[in-house]
Amino acid sequence: MNNPYEPIKTQILKIIPETAQIKTFVLKPENHFEFNAGQFIQLTIPGVGEGPFTPSSSPYEKEKMEVTIMQVGKITSTLHNMKENDLVGIRGPYGNRYPVDEWRNREILIVGGGVGLAPLRSLFLTLTYNLKEYKKIVLCYGAKTPEDIVYKESILNKWQKEFAGKISFRVTVDVGDEKWKGKVGLVTTTLDGIDEEVSNISESIAVVCGPPVMMKFTTLKLLDVGYTPEKIYLSMEKNMSCGIGKCGHCQLGKFLACRDGPVFTYEQLKDIPAIWD
Amino acid sequence: MEKLFVGKDNFLKFVQNLVERFSVYAPVEKEDFLFYEKVNQENIDKIKVDTRRAIHPLKSFFLPARRKVSEYFNSSLVHEQQNCVILGAKNCDLHALKISDSVYSGEKFGVEYKDPFYIEAREKTTLISFDCLSPDEVCFCRLVGVDPFPGEGFDLNFSSLEEGFIIQVGSDKGEKLIKENEALFSAAEQNMINKRDKNRERVVKLIEKNNREFKPAKSYRELIRDSDASPVWKEHSEMCVDCGGCNQICPTCRCFLLTDSKTKDKYERHYLWDACLLTGFARVAGGANPRPYLHQRFANRLLCKFYFFPENINLDACTGCGRCIAVCPGKIDMRKVFRDLAVEKKITVGLEK
Repeated sequence: MNNPYEPIKTQILKIIPETAQIKTFVLKPENHFEFNAGQFIQLTIPGVGEGPFTPSSSPYEKEKMEVTIMQVGKITSTLHNMKENDLVGIRGPYGNRYPVDEWRNREILIVGGGVGLAPLRSLFLTLTYNLKEYKKIVLCYGAKTPEDIVYKESILNKWQKEFAGKISFRVTVDVGDEKWKGKVGLVTTTLDGIDEEVSNISESIAVVCGPPVMMKFTTLKLLDVGYTPEKIYLSMEKNMSCGIGKCGHCQLGKFLACRDGPVFTYEQLKDIPAIWD
Repeated sequence: MEKLFVGKDNFLKFVQNLVERFSVYAPVEKEDFLFYEKVNQENIDKIKVDTRRAIHPLKSFFLPARRKVSEYFNSSLVHEQQNCVILGAKNCDLHALKISDSVYSGEKFGVEYKDPFYIEAREKTTLISFDCLSPDEVCFCRLVGVDPFPGEGFDLNFSSLEEGFIIQVGSDKGEKLIKENEALFSAAEQNMINKRDKNRERVVKLIEKNNREFKPAKSYRELIRDSDASPVWKEHSEMCVDCGGCNQICPTCRCFLLTDSKTKDKYERHYLWDACLLTGFARVAGGANPRPYLHQRFANRLLCKFYFFPENINLDACTGCGRCIAVCPGKIDMRKVFRDLAVEKKITVGLEK
């Protein structure tokens, strides 16, 4: 019997602290496991429960997988107390992926807020694997304070050097500190003057992931500067339980986030009441 | 297929034969309601197969309120599903299975992922339905386009007459049962079929009469469109006590939650019924909730039935069985909700003869 509720035994290879509340878990599933950027998995804490998370590593990395998780509830708190070599479970991958094949030869703007950079990191690593396929990539990121920036070394240093002249980075914090030399302002301020980076806004792609309020105001600003609803991609956070279109928890209008998402265009969602709540 | 007839005495023999071979479940009356019970020699003469639908939704046989679905990291879970016969299902019950079939074993809700437990339970169950003869006051199948007698979805269907039953075969499984009990049946005569049709007509008229005041000139599907901001939701949910009883009793409500636990030597995962009326149903980690207000959840339940499912599989996820009305402690009646949505949209309601 092919049992879709059965998780695959998975080992925690490594735990990387990102911020005070965020850690990246490097996972090694016992069976072969592949995913595409944007798809999610159900992560089992044995005997405790499951939660949906989107991998943050490159889909081209087949041996292991990374998931970046903020401590907010029961599952994530238990996970944060686990140690390297501990056992978890995974099911999936579920849902749709970022349609990167449709984005060839286009300018792509990625906007992340807080831990919302996690799925976007997987997307970023997918895009940079075939960088010449895309006309331009701009990565915007906002965190509350410099202490809250995830993948700090990559986003502030490594990627900036590696992709100098090819990818633009716009990083901001809501509140700075004495060491912070970068921009201070909400993530939406990274879109000020975006037309200097992106030449053909109405034909270009925007991808947004972050807390609901960040996604709301970022989407409104993107529309304001000329992005079109069908080219704004949003990752919708819902409380998927089964992940396979049955349990009903992630219903969103006529959609199920696990089946039709979690990646949606704003065009699909714009008439659904209370999508940002 | 030729229609068959079985006299009252032979019908009892047929039921006896079934009980000897299978686990048979049939409705038995308790106070105001009918409940499915396992048929045995003590209750066999108390079963009420040809009156009205039981209050138990049929989903309990295929989607029990709690079911172990995994003992993980140790794939030794043995799932024992018995062959069983359900006797006395009504057309509203059969109709509801179309919804759960679409979700748990259909293509639209996951081409790759189907629920093997549901599929097995459906395969191992024989459905013997009966025409509804005495609908409840709360029954309103005709308002949502469902008839009180089955046309499909059964293995055998029985239509009650004074002298016995007319039998219609609906599947190979049903055909096999007939063959195995061949001596009990004879061919149905045309005058019996005419009597059956008259009975059916009488019940349709009775349901329509009972629901005259609620019948809108447009379908529930049309009435609910763009109704999110309607004051009707707040008005009708005022009496709602947030118990989720309507979810649990509804034959088409199929939402569930997976919960994990640890026993002495293994990890277990259970499927548990969940209810979208409850506060935390859609809440995400960190506390954000897309439907924090009761009236939103109340509206969502009916939007699921008359917007979500029609958009997905072009079927209303409501069969008019009226169970939600029968069990609601706040006496909420969805027919009145739709009546008021119609009034608000200035659509004629309740004037038909």
